Amino acid sequence: MSHSAFANSVRLAFDQGTLTLSGVSESLLKRLWEPNIWVSDPRSKGWRTDAIHYGEVAKRFSLHLAASWIDDVADWKPVVFPRQNLHSLRRDQADAVNAWFATRRGVVVMPTGTGKTEVALHVIARLGGSVLVVSPVRDLMYQWHDRILAATGIDAGIIGDGVHRVSPISVTTYDSASIHMPRIGNRFQLVVFDECHHLPGSVRQDAARMSAAPFRLGLTATPQRRDGMEVLLDELIGPRVYTQAIESARGKTLAHYDIVRMSVHLSEEERERYKMLGRTVANFIAERRVDDPGYDWQTLCRDSGSDPKARAAMLAFHAKRSIEDRATDKLRLIEDLFRLHAGEPVIVFCGSNAMARDVSLRFLVPCLLSHCRKRERKEILAGFREGRYPVIVANRVLDEGVDLPEVNVAIVVGGGSGTRQALQRLGRVLRKNRFGRACFYEIVTSGTRDEIRSRDRRRSDAFRKK
Amino acid sequence: MLTKEQSILHFDFQNQRVHPDRLTRKTHAHYLPLAQQMLAAYRQGVGQPRRTLHKSIRLILQNTDDCSTRRIAAFCKLLDDASEYRKDTASKAAKLRERVFLLAATKHPLVQATDQLFDHAESEVKQQIAKELNREWDEIESVLFNDVIEFHPLIQPPKELDAGGLLRCYNVAQTQAALYGALSMTVWAERDFKQIMRYAKLARLMHSIEPHGTGYRLRFDGPASVVRSTRRYGVALAKFLPGLLSAEGWRMQATVLGPMQQRYALRLSPRDGLRSEVRNDDFDSDLEKSFYEAWQQAETAGWVLLREATILHQGQSVFMPDFTLRHPIHGDVLLEIVGFWTPEYLQEKGRTLNRFRDSGRILLAISHSVAESIPELGMPRIEYNTKLSPARVLKYLKTL
Repeated sequence: MSHSAFANSVRLAFDQGTLTLSGVSESLLKRLWEPNIWVSDPRSKGWRTDAIHYGEVAKRFSLHLAASWIDDVADWKPVVFPRQNLHSLRRDQADAVNAWFATRRGVVVMPTGTGKTEVALHVIARLGGSVLVVSPVRDLMYQWHDRILAATGIDAGIIGDGVHRVSPISVTTYDSASIHMPRIGNRFQLVVFDECHHLPGSVRQDAARMSAAPFRLGLTATPQRRDGMEVLLDELIGPRVYTQAIESARGKTLAHYDIVRMSVHLSEEERERYKMLGRTVANFIAERRVDDPGYDWQTLCRDSGSDPKARAAMLAFHAKRSIEDRATDKLRLIEDLFRLHAGEPVIVFCGSNAMARDVSLRFLVPCLLSHCRKRERKEILAGFREGRYPVIVANRVLDEGVDLPEVNVAIVVGGGSGTRQALQRLGRVLRKNRFGRACFYEIVTSGTRDEIRSRDRRRSDAFRKK
Repeated sequence: MLTKEQSILHFDFQNQRVHPDRLTRKTHAHYLPLAQQMLAAYRQGVGQPRRTLHKSIRLILQNTDDCSTRRIAAFCKLLDDASEYRKDTASKAAKLRERVFLLAATKHPLVQATDQLFDHAESEVKQQIAKELNREWDEIESVLFNDVIEFHPLIQPPKELDAGGLLRCYNVAQTQAALYGALSMTVWAERDFKQIMRYAKLARLMHSIEPHGTGYRLRFDGPASVVRSTRRYGVALAKFLPGLLSAEGWRMQATVLGPMQQRYALRLSPRDGLRSEVRNDDFDSDLEKSFYEAWQQAETAGWVLLREATILHQGQSVFMPDFTLRHPIHGDVLLEIVGFWTPEYLQEKGRTLNRFRDSGRILLAISHSVAESIPELGMPRIEYNTKLSPARVLKYLKTL
């Protein structure tokens, strides 16, 4: 059947993260879409839908519209790479690339440190189209920039961290992508979502929904989210096309590792204060439970809005955590570990910025914190890689994906991180390196909640000793 | 503007309404002296790091029964926004850190007690570095992390803010923050359309317009809003609020997504007494102003002159003639005054007028000096030299 009667003026366009369509009847749309993705927009007098549907819309129109239709969406062209300097792929990496090319939409799950970046670079080179790489943090964005430059000779555009340079190959962060996608969503044929478990956040989803890119690649080691929103990845990126389990990677590409857990004790003074603060919290709750047996932490948080006593209890609780986090004895133990591993590069992960600064000030070693600007970060990482710095201290900045120099000693100091965070950190440290076996130390404060959190972390199978 | 973490909303589940936190002189009189103390703390705190200032605000408010942690944080943010801090733009702290850490690197690890293997004592190394840099170690330590936001020193406390002003800021900021979760906003306006539309446009919002009574109903949201419910434009709606608050003769209802994805109404009108700083020029030009004033003195044969009382709209383009002339029998005549402007402006004006030429009876008053630049548009036109007189306009109106 021909739709040429109205096909003459069918026009599809990109408008601020959405697609607008004019010149088609409702009945045609209903025939082509069940359920109908198109909504009538009285403001612009036409049809509108999310830009994410572009690939499918273009396919169906080409198939079902007899006459030509105007496609004003895609604002991208083939990209020629001046040179290609890619590492050859391992078997598993090649499998991942091929699996993705079967659908050109989907998620590749590979443990950290097994070369997800290489997989993506091969996809980018083979596709030869414009691409936007989205990563969780600025450091990773710059790292992608460096990797793309090394692999293709292209100085990629940067969107984020105060820079707005859009070019056919660009890198950005999730936050910048969701802000700018209405303006750049039709400039890229492929979007790579690195550490894509970050995508399903309610605003961040727009980084996928407002993009018209027909091709999408998601990369992650840990697709699970606590809120269960990972099911959205199917819709936003595509189905899972390749999965490699961490178990099969251990010992091959990752280093063998030991986990040494060490406890420190609070000093007399800290213990006294800790106990006192603990009593403040406990007394307050006990007092409330006389009248309200169900009084719990949530209620306390709520009450702290209107009740100075509840507020004092909450402040006491935070002060307590700060004592656990920053116990003086942790610094003493870190000194012992520095002595033990003198001459080897060591990375220290801290649970808070305050503790990271404590360590940095005590040992005069550089710390990578969120306030560090690009130049300083680069200088610190390069200095560490080249041996100018014996140790670096970091907080969450280095949680995921940031390429670290070879290292076989990592110290995790306290911090209430969840399973995923610890897993990611572990992955960073355990790259196979010239030092062979890796050492992973965890310092917790004994007799405090620090210990309980550490036990929770161990539930993850990556921590289970062989 | 506040962050989400500093916003306090009261949800009325029964009536599906949301009420942003509000401190009024009636119900919260005890906040006036507190606001005074807070401002004093900042004014006496020049040179102190942000963290210390925030601590003093906490101390001022902590024993106030109804002052939650969020409210405290909100006050800190508003005081910070009205102040100026030194930001270490030259990366002095980072440069100092690099020097210190490089000097210390060869001495790693710095130990508490030396032995045969490790003979670099922490305190000695620090003294050596201090000597090398020709500064006291304590001083080095105090500025080493000066680029961390919490350690920025205050250089300029809030200038033109008194206790009442701080509370007013607080109330507007909380209402703005309530809009972060808004899906759309509807404004019923009787006047000041131009101003409302101008601020909506600045906030990059989309609109639809319908006549409503003697005014209009304007709905604001964004491109994706028709496709799905999205809070994406909430920040734009929040940015638009001060512009709306500076207008007169309106009421507003926003739909806000609250707990359990339920929708709540946020209602507001000038009667709520929220004021904002945005300053609006009453008239686009002195010419309009003098015409308006002259009209009030003139004998006008039943014609009433209304400022920007009519909106002509086609899709997303909107045209608001400078004046509406209204007569009980003859109806409305729209008056647009075209003054001395750049050629680009006149061309654009010509295009706009052309687009709306069938939308109503439009009378053009064109400055003699530019009359040739505006092509024949099929609209009646009168010319004026330096001033537009009511008599000139009335002469035309008599021909109707």
